[in-house]
Formats: sequence, C-alpha cells, structure tokens
Amino acid sequence: MRLLSSSVLCYLFLASSAMAAQPVPVVTTTTDIAAIVKAIGGDHVAVESIAKGYQDPHFVEAKPSFVRVVNRARMLFNVGLELEVGWLPLLIQGARNPSLMVVDLSQGVSVLEKPSGPVSRAQGDVHPLGNPHYWLDPRNGVIMARRIAQQLKTIEPGDSAYFDQNFTAFESDLTNRRKRWEEQMAPFRGAELVTYHKEWEYLIKWLSLNVLGYVEDKPGIPPTPRHLEELVQTMQQRKVKALLASNYTNPNVPKSIADKTSAKLVMLASSVGGEESIRNYGDLFEAIVGKLAGALK
Amino acid sequence: MSEFLAIMAAPFAASLVVTGIHVYLGLHVVRRGVIFVDIALAQIAALGAAFALLLGMEIHGGEAYWVSLAFTLIGALIFSITRSRRARIPQEAFIGIVYAVSAAAAILVVDRAPGGAEHVKDLLVGSLLFVQWGTVVKIALLYAIIGLLHWLWRKPMWEISNMNEWEKGQGRRSWIWDLFFYSTFGCVVNASVGIAGVLLVFSYLIVPAVCAMLLVERTDNGTVKVGKSLYVGWLVGFVVSVVGCYFSYYWDLPTGATIVVTFGGTLLLVGLIRTLFLV
Repeated sequence: MRLLSSSVLCYLFLASSAMAAQPVPVVTTTTDIAAIVKAIGGDHVAVESIAKGYQDPHFVEAKPSFVRVVNRARMLFNVGLELEVGWLPLLIQGARNPSLMVVDLSQGVSVLEKPSGPVSRAQGDVHPLGNPHYWLDPRNGVIMARRIAQQLKTIEPGDSAYFDQNFTAFESDLTNRRKRWEEQMAPFRGAELVTYHKEWEYLIKWLSLNVLGYVEDKPGIPPTPRHLEELVQTMQQRKVKALLASNYTNPNVPKSIADKTSAKLVMLASSVGGEESIRNYGDLFEAIVGKLAGALK
Repeated sequence: MSEFLAIMAAPFAASLVVTGIHVYLGLHVVRRGVIFVDIALAQIAALGAAFALLLGMEIHGGEAYWVSLAFTLIGALIFSITRSRRARIPQEAFIGIVYAVSAAAAILVVDRAPGGAEHVKDLLVGSLLFVQWGTVVKIALLYAIIGLLHWLWRKPMWEISNMNEWEKGQGRRSWIWDLFFYSTFGCVVNASVGIAGVLLVFSYLIVPAVCAMLLVERTDNGTVKVGKSLYVGWLVGFVVSVVGCYFSYYWDLPTGATIVVTFGGTLLLVGLIRTLFLV
C-alpha cells in the first residue's frame, strides 16, 4: 500500500514536473510586452519577442525564425493602434497557425491623440487610431499586465492562482517604484522640452512635462528649414533644457539643434533591451527618469 | 524539413515566378544598356502612389493602383522618346534623372499628404518571406500574359534591343516598340517590387543575364543567342533561389537580402569559371 501510494505520488510529481518543463509558448511584438509577460507568466510561460529593444517597432526585417516562433506560439500579444501594421498582419498570415490567439493590448488603455470625428488632411499626419507608444507610462504597464494575466488564464486555467499572485507582486512593486519616480521628477513639473518624434507623449503626460515642439512631425520626412529655425528660436527664447530622442534615431540632426541652443540632447531607450542594462519593465523607467532628471537639473 | 517547406514554399514559388520573366527581360535590359531602368520605373510608381494618397485615396486600394500604373506608363513614354531622339545623350542619364527627381518629388508629395505616409516606403520594400499564395498565382498569370506578348513580338523586340544608338535615331516605328517594352516592363517591375523589394528585383533582372553573357558565346554579328542565354539565366536564377532560401532559413537571415548576396557570390563564381575554363 505504502509502495503504491509512494509510486502514485512519484507519478504525480513527475507529471507535474513534466508540465512545469513544458512552458506555454507565447510571442510578443515588442520587448516591453515580453518583459511584462515574463513577470506574470514566470517559468510557466516561454516568451519570445519579435522586435529587439534597440529596433524601431514600426519597421522589422522579416526573418524565417519569426514565422517559426509564431507558428508554434499559442498566444500573441501586440501593441496595436497600427504600430505593427507594416509587418504583423503579413507575419500572422504567413505563420499559418489557426489556433493562435492574438491579443491587442491597446484595449483598456486610454489612448492619447485619438482623432475625434473624421480625419482630415488639415490635421497633418495622424495615426487614425491614436498614439501607439502607450507603454511609456508605468500606469499603462499595470493595465497591460492585468490584461496579460487575464488572457494567460484562458489558455492555462490551472495556473490562474500563480498568474494572479505574480500580477499582484508586479503591480505593487511597480506602483511603489512609480511613486519614487514621481517624487524624483516632482521638481520638474511643467518643465518645457522638445522631442524628436511624437513618441514620448504618454511619458510626458504622466510626468506633467510640457512639449513645445517636435523636430520631425512625420517620421522619415526631413523638417523644413523654416520649421527648424522657428524651433531653434523657441528653444532659445524659452531656454529649453532638454531635447528628447529615442536611441534608435540618427543623432546627427537632433545634436545639431541641441548645439545651437542651451538644450541637452537626451537619447533615451524607449523599450526594454534598448540599453544593455534595461532588462525588465521597471528598469526602463529607472533609466528614463534618471537621464531626464539629470538633464533638467 | 517539413517546417522548412511550410515556411519557405511560398517565397520560393514566388522567386521562381519572378525568375521566369525577369531573366528574359534582363537580357533585353543588359543588351540595351539601361541597367537602372527598373529602379527608376519602381520609383515613378511609388510617386504615383504618393500622389494618390494626396488625392485622398487608400494607398493599398484599387484606385491608387491605377494612378500608380498611369505614372509608370508616363515613365515608359519618357524613356521611349528619350531613347530614340537624343542619341547624343546616353539613356542612363535620363534614367538617373527620372529616378532622382521622382524620389525627391515623392518626399514633397508625402509631406503634404495626410496619414499613411509610411506606406509609400512599403511599396519599395516588399517582403518576399511573407508573400501569400494568392499573390503568387496572380503575378504568375500577369507574367504569363506579358511573357506571351513578348514571345509573339520577339522578332521586332530583339531587332530594336540589338540596334545601336545611331540606327535607333533613324527608325520611325521603333519608339512604339520601345513604348511597348517599357510599359510591359513597368507592369512587371511594379508587381515584383511589391512582393520582393527593389534590391531583389534588380538582382533577378541583371545577374542571371550577366552570367548568361559571360558563359554563352555571341553570334557572329555580336548579337545575343537568346535561347541559350535564357536557359543559362533560368538555371542561375533557379539555383540562386534554392540556395538563397536555404541559407535564409538555415542561418535565420532576412530572405531578400540573403538572395541578393547569394547572387553576388554566384556571379563571382561564374566569372571565375569563365576565366579558368572558357577564355
């Protein structure tokens, strides 16, 4: 009897360890989402990101391994709001994985710059669904994490308690750190700055900073001479202290503008993995807040 | 192996379809010495798409396609006229000018256009890896029709491609055939660039043709032996497609760029074979 029960126990143990050794394959479009999935899914989930942290998620060069990863995954998390529109629909079609569940994490986030009413030409280059760089506000990170936990539960209901526990830990840790970052940035509330592209809007709103202008209104279209002249004048008059650009932009143009003014060029990682030291979602804000506070001092 | 097939079958089929027509057109292009004409025509088509965007059309929609086609035909007209009249100026000069001006004009147009500007760039950087079977069938049909037209009129077409600049200036009807050549060529290039990108289309056009010219001897009056050159070109295109797709899969490299570099390596090999064994 004892022998039997111990063998049953042994069997159960083996079965559970076999299950633990088979983590659920999940794929994400960006490293930020991958970092949050890792925090929530722990070792029960094997997550891979398609874009690298130092790459512009608008443009991703197609490689055969992407098709393989998406073909094997059970769930795909993406940023949405047309950020990955240039390559993700093609990749999903090409991967031929009918059981893949695609989760657009922008649902539930309050999106900035969402055009109200019909989009007209007068508004210039508008993202018809709103600004997609919402992961750059840690409060949105919590919303994303909650949704990720919810979705992971649907494919692995047995691990619900584990995902919930990880979510709670993630949320409380991020909230505590967020309060510290807010304190660190409190002296700079209302500080005026200029950004290269419109990709820092969420960060800026979170920290109550004030954007006076952009170098490039449209990605890839060089600014006109008059626009640059006006921008430099404004920066000189208002004594703007910082010009933000993500670290995958070519630094030549922003550097030449910063040199003409008193502004410091701040090249920030906009995703996890954008710098070697940024390994998880919290690290990203640690790096951003550190650099910003340094420049605005 | 089965996974290799699942991932690479459609891109491989697409590259074979592209090989079929591009090797043939490439022989014409190299013989005529208008090497960069495909890039110029692709850029004009992109300008057309940008213009469609300015008019408020959907860039991937049907209307935009016709605008872009109309621009391509205008480009074809420009090339057919400049070739027959201005024997003093090399055709490549006009091709270069058309390329640079239409690329710059596209930037100006996109600057004024509403959202979707980034899609104009997409038109020139097709992604072979993600090609759909439906697209492969569509271009196969289109290329079959254009190939048939070229087969029917192969005689006048080769007469003109073999002419020198001076003879060209004398011929009255020749610019009509040139218009036919550049128009059909423009249609093919537009379709191919959309799925494979500018670099890959250029390589499929030029490298097999150059390999064929290195390996196949000319006729006595210096013209191309079309049949033999075509077989050599197709063989080169086929082998490079197979090897390039395999390398891309094996080392997990971007497919289009891998095939282009494989073409480069193949040309080197062919050049070596020629110097060692044929000359």
